[in-house]
Amino acid sequence: MKILFLVLLLLFITGCSEKLVRVMPYEKEFFAQDKMSLSPIAERAEQEGHIFLIREASAGGESSFQGGCGCR
Amino acid sequence: MKKIILTAIICLTLFAAPREGDKQVAYTLPMLYNPAKVLSDSNTRGKVVLLNLWASWCSGCQEEMPLFVSLQKRHNKKDFIVVAASIDSVDENAKEFLDRVDPDKDLIALYDVKKSLPKAYRCPGLPSSFLIDKEGKIAAVYIGSLDKEMIKNLEKKIAELERK
Repeated sequence: MKILFLVLLLLFITGCSEKLVRVMPYEKEFFAQDKMSLSPIAERAEQEGHIFLIREASAGGESSFQGGCGCR
Repeated sequence: MKKIILTAIICLTLFAAPREGDKQVAYTLPMLYNPAKVLSDSNTRGKVVLLNLWASWCSGCQEEMPLFVSLQKRHNKKDFIVVAASIDSVDENAKEFLDRVDPDKDLIALYDVKKSLPKAYRCPGLPSSFLIDKEGKIAAVYIGSLDKEMIKNLEKKIAELERK
């Protein structure tokens, strides 16, 4: 009885680890779409970055240009 | 304690992915361009097979597919075939890509809409390719896209398997 319980438990755990928790590479069709990327419209990314810098008053905060503390 | 370890090992073995030396996973899948026609693993016995699992949305698959087309062109279809099983959810996407890359239809294109092959092989990545010998055993497993150098090594293996 204990062994049966253990087998069922292990089956359950294995099922959880692969099928329920991890998105397998072959299931990433919709993640691969352009609209799922962080900046889906490449042409707009620069403009959005510019607006972000103005809004946050933190020039250099998102690139290697200075430290991102807001003090030039 | 021994029983627990033994049970755990048995369970892990049951869920292990097919490896080199194992028998290939049995399948019967419709052809991509002619769904009324099916191909099963038993139809390919006696030939060396490169089973490629791919999708049109996968950039690695897009890179390696032209290499597979030229690989197939260099080999006689009596001895070696490339079976490309698409797992796209929309078959038109797969057809559109293959029409561009393989206009002469050299590859045997299958359509696996239920993703049964990657599930059965427990593919940790896409694309995944499996070199299968004449007896239907897995001779090599390739996870990820193959480049020109890897294709050269693959061809050596194909030649070895063809001689057997």
